Amino acid sequence: MIRLTTKNITKRFLGLVAVNNVSFSMEEGEILGIIGPNGAGKTTFINLISGIIMPSEGVIEFKGKDITYMPAHERARLGIARTYQLIHPLENLTMIENIMVGSIFAKGHSLKEARIIALGLCDELSLRDVDRDTSRLTILEIKKMEIARALANEPEVLFLDEVMAGLNTEETKDIIAVVHKLARERNVAIGVIEHVMGVIRELTHRVMVMEAGEIIAEGKYEDISKNPRVIEAYLGGATDAETTKS
Amino acid sequence: MKRNASKMVALVFGIMAIMLPFFAGDYPLQVGRNIMMYMALAISWDMLLRSGQVSFGIAGFFGLGAYASILSVVHAGIPSWLSILFAAVFSGLIAFAIGLLILRLRAMYFSIVTLALGEIFRIILQNMHDFTGGPEGIVMQGVIFGGNANRLYWLTLTGLCISLAGSYWFENSKIHFAITAIRNNEISAQSSGVDIFKWLLLAFVVTSAIQGLLGGIFVQSYGFATPDTVFSADFMLLPIAMALLGGIYSTTGPVLGALLLGIVSEWLKLKIPYGHLVVYGIMIIIVILFMPRGLKQLVRQSPKNAERGKA
Amino acid sequence: MKAKQRSNSIRAAIIAAVAIALILWKPTVLIYGLQSAGLYAAIAIPMGLVLGIVHIVNLAHGEFMMLAAYAAYNACKAFGMDPLMAIIPTAAVTSLFGWVIFQLTIRKALKAPELNQLILTFGLAIAFTQIINLIFTSQTYKIPLDYVSASMTIGNLTFGIWSFVFVPVAIAFAYGLQYFLTKTNTGKAALAVGQNTKGAAIVGIDVYRTYGLVFAIATALVGAMGALFLTKSAIFPAVGSPFTMKSFCLIAMAGIGNIPGILGASVLLGVAESFLRAFRGTRDWAEIVFFVLIIVVIMSRSLKGRKS
Repeated sequence: MIRLTTKNITKRFLGLVAVNNVSFSMEEGEILGIIGPNGAGKTTFINLISGIIMPSEGVIEFKGKDITYMPAHERARLGIARTYQLIHPLENLTMIENIMVGSIFAKGHSLKEARIIALGLCDELSLRDVDRDTSRLTILEIKKMEIARALANEPEVLFLDEVMAGLNTEETKDIIAVVHKLARERNVAIGVIEHVMGVIRELTHRVMVMEAGEIIAEGKYEDISKNPRVIEAYLGGATDAETTKS
Repeated sequence: MKRNASKMVALVFGIMAIMLPFFAGDYPLQVGRNIMMYMALAISWDMLLRSGQVSFGIAGFFGLGAYASILSVVHAGIPSWLSILFAAVFSGLIAFAIGLLILRLRAMYFSIVTLALGEIFRIILQNMHDFTGGPEGIVMQGVIFGGNANRLYWLTLTGLCISLAGSYWFENSKIHFAITAIRNNEISAQSSGVDIFKWLLLAFVVTSAIQGLLGGIFVQSYGFATPDTVFSADFMLLPIAMALLGGIYSTTGPVLGALLLGIVSEWLKLKIPYGHLVVYGIMIIIVILFMPRGLKQLVRQSPKNAERGKA
Repeated sequence: MKAKQRSNSIRAAIIAAVAIALILWKPTVLIYGLQSAGLYAAIAIPMGLVLGIVHIVNLAHGEFMMLAAYAAYNACKAFGMDPLMAIIPTAAVTSLFGWVIFQLTIRKALKAPELNQLILTFGLAIAFTQIINLIFTSQTYKIPLDYVSASMTIGNLTFGIWSFVFVPVAIAFAYGLQYFLTKTNTGKAALAVGQNTKGAAIVGIDVYRTYGLVFAIATALVGAMGALFLTKSAIFPAVGSPFTMKSFCLIAMAGIGNIPGILGASVLLGVAESFLRAFRGTRDWAEIVFFVLIIVVIMSRSLKGRKS
């Protein structure tokens, strides 16, 4: 079942075309990798889908419903969630309160219910000591909190924007397990923007490659990693050391 | 433990406040009324500040409520207590209309519009000569409770309690999450489903209604209203200075600031008739620059708060 | 391009039609409206530099002018000079004062959220107003000058012409600043800082020095206006605050960053106010015009924002 579709989505900022005629779709339970060099328009694309900015042209549909100009908070209620690359936690709320926000406002739970749900999410992500101030959290905890925050929306479509950056192997494995579980058990359609190719290879069912605002390749990781245009987009080298091995 | 202790303190203060008329003469009661009025206004200003919006329109809605109250008594003959409620509703409705128009653009635009509000309301009311008595203002027959000092005190105390209740509501319900999220990071808030416009509008309407209510209480206590008295800059400056001094983003901060500054202001008014307001201006500057979280920050003394220099 | 040209020519036609109608019917409305426009624009343009280009909110803008006017007044009284002689010294002194205030206070609030700037500069406005109130009380002061009552007669219409002086001043400010911003290093640095503060710092621009200079320039212009304003108006402590509001209104109308646009916006505000003042029934409502205009601008901006 198709969850999310974009048709000919374009975004112009004055002279610059950040996203150019992008059409794609995501199915429930699918994990889609979105890769591409810096400035390719990946985050802008996610911003368009989550409603932070509005497209110049094109259509966005969620489960068949046109959400192209729907305000961001309404999209959150429908079941679209995303994490942010530059995480600015809500500094005057505790860690668990940060997570509760989505539960309260995207899903309409009471404060009590929201706290219980948030506690559950903290458990899943191994976040302890939940009533701490956000200034006391480690980077890993902030990242996990950001994921939990997005999960509190109980999303049907989730975008993770470079969540693995700065995590070590153990921690990366943790997150990968969580993402797999989400897709498998809750049928969430997940889009993963990443630069770490090992993660993309392990995690995704399908990969979409963007460059200069356009999709230049699509397919399984094994295929697109051999695609010459993709390799060139990453500055004429192997996309990761292990590709040349396989 | 700490929570119970502060609840006890609040209870003791509350009882003292209620019992004051039995022990104090007219002048202290008058001072008490003024302090409570400013305290209530300071709390209402802070309530909106928690959403990240600075309003300079306190005096505007206060004066608007005052006129709504006195005009409804003089022209429509409704009872005084009812006119106070009407003042609240009227201010709330006007705030709703204005909020609808301007709250989609926030921060600076909102603040500057509210800065103009006091003047605009004053000019409009002053221009409606026949209805409002123009620059000379309008006088009521008699004052609520026949001017009984104790009853006037308790009336103002009721106004303060309403303000306190509002602040408590804002701190302990969904509203707390909404406005804090909006203040800290609007984009994150939106992504979590917060309808920013709706919650800001709610906060604006509620706080303006409280300010109108207090204006109604004020005018009913004195029996007359002129454009200059009810739209006086005092009603805007002192509450802001008090909330800043005591510590913003809380209920206890404005309370503390009002207690401290309230007494100082009575003394200042006598000593420096012209320009005593300069103290508040300078106080606002000093607090924002050196202790944005107010006295509460100094009292806490924790390293966390010392780092967080910004408001 | 064609559609834009079309709407521009329609706009020009409407403006011409209104202007001709006014000239035929109530020419004084247009005359006094233009004079007010000049005054408003000349005061708003420096704020356009500070707010529009480097994005510093200064609610004490009008108060700097007020302080300059009082300084000029006292200098004129003390040295027996004409305010016109005082323009340059007043501008210099106000500029220095503005720069000092910036370094002591506003600069510290720049790293904090915008609401700190709002509250801080609000506190400055109050402090300035009340200090003057303390020293000079709320009494109004005026310097009687002969040339201010100069007038001209066309047909059976007589009107004051001194106030036209503000118009060339405003135009000079606007295009002078345009030159400054596009052709001088500091000006270009200011544009860079305003558009992308971090980026500007990375390429080596001393951001705080730029802020300080821009603020000093703006305060110099405002200071000059204070002395010039003294020629035709009485001064009192609260004289500055309506100008803060109207300056903001004009900047909002012209669009943040559009300094020449302030000239056009000021004509609309000036003529609209003048129009209302011309009739007894509407005279008291002239001071509301700027507020209505701000609301209209905000509403149209937010509608546009929702669409895009």
